[in-house]
Amino acid sequence: MAWSGSEGTNKVHADIDALNGFHEALVRFRHVQRSVAERSDDEIEMTRASLAAKASHWQARLEQSQAEFDACRAVPGADCSGYARAVEQAGEWLEHIRRWQQRVDEAAGEFRGTAGAFWDLLQNDLPRAESLLLALIADLEAARRAS
Amino acid sequence: MIHTRPDRDGQEQLRLLAAAREEAARYWQDEVARQFDAGRWTPLVQQSQAYLEALGALMDLLETAERDTEF
Repeated sequence: MAWSGSEGTNKVHADIDALNGFHEALVRFRHVQRSVAERSDDEIEMTRASLAAKASHWQARLEQSQAEFDACRAVPGADCSGYARAVEQAGEWLEHIRRWQQRVDEAAGEFRGTAGAFWDLLQNDLPRAESLLLALIADLEAARRAS
Repeated sequence: MIHTRPDRDGQEQLRLLAAAREEAARYWQDEVARQFDAGRWTPLVQQSQAYLEALGALMDLLETAERDTEF
């Protein structure tokens, strides 16, 4: 281990403290990022559920509007333009929601690749970096005790 | 309860980690430190940034999806 300035007991303490602080920050980072990853999955699922509920609502509304339009058309001479507009509007809105569902699915699928690599880093690489730092700190503490 | 976006919490934690690394780097400047930087630290930061940026973009998209499908 090389000191950046003059050597001495205080320097050794400061060095160990800084490395300990870095090690603790790494451990905290791993825990927080795991929670971030889990919350991200929750956010994706919540949005999917919300869009599915909206699609279901508008599907039902479309069916109801269609039934009302059909009933109107069965009456000779009735003006059914309002019902026709309602059917059209419900159909367009349902399609709009379905496009969003598809877009969210695609984006979540693309994100899964990046997230998988990051999860691997959290599970494997980060603990190895933490172990390396712990070993360095142990060496420094041993050197301090010996001096 | 204050609801914060996960990507923003992740970015904040990366900022705190970088500050701790900077503090350690004031004292730790030997060959082992250089190897740690190249082999562990740099890839960690790059991969974290890539992940958090992708997550931020996805969270933006989810928010827009919710907003844009409110009738």
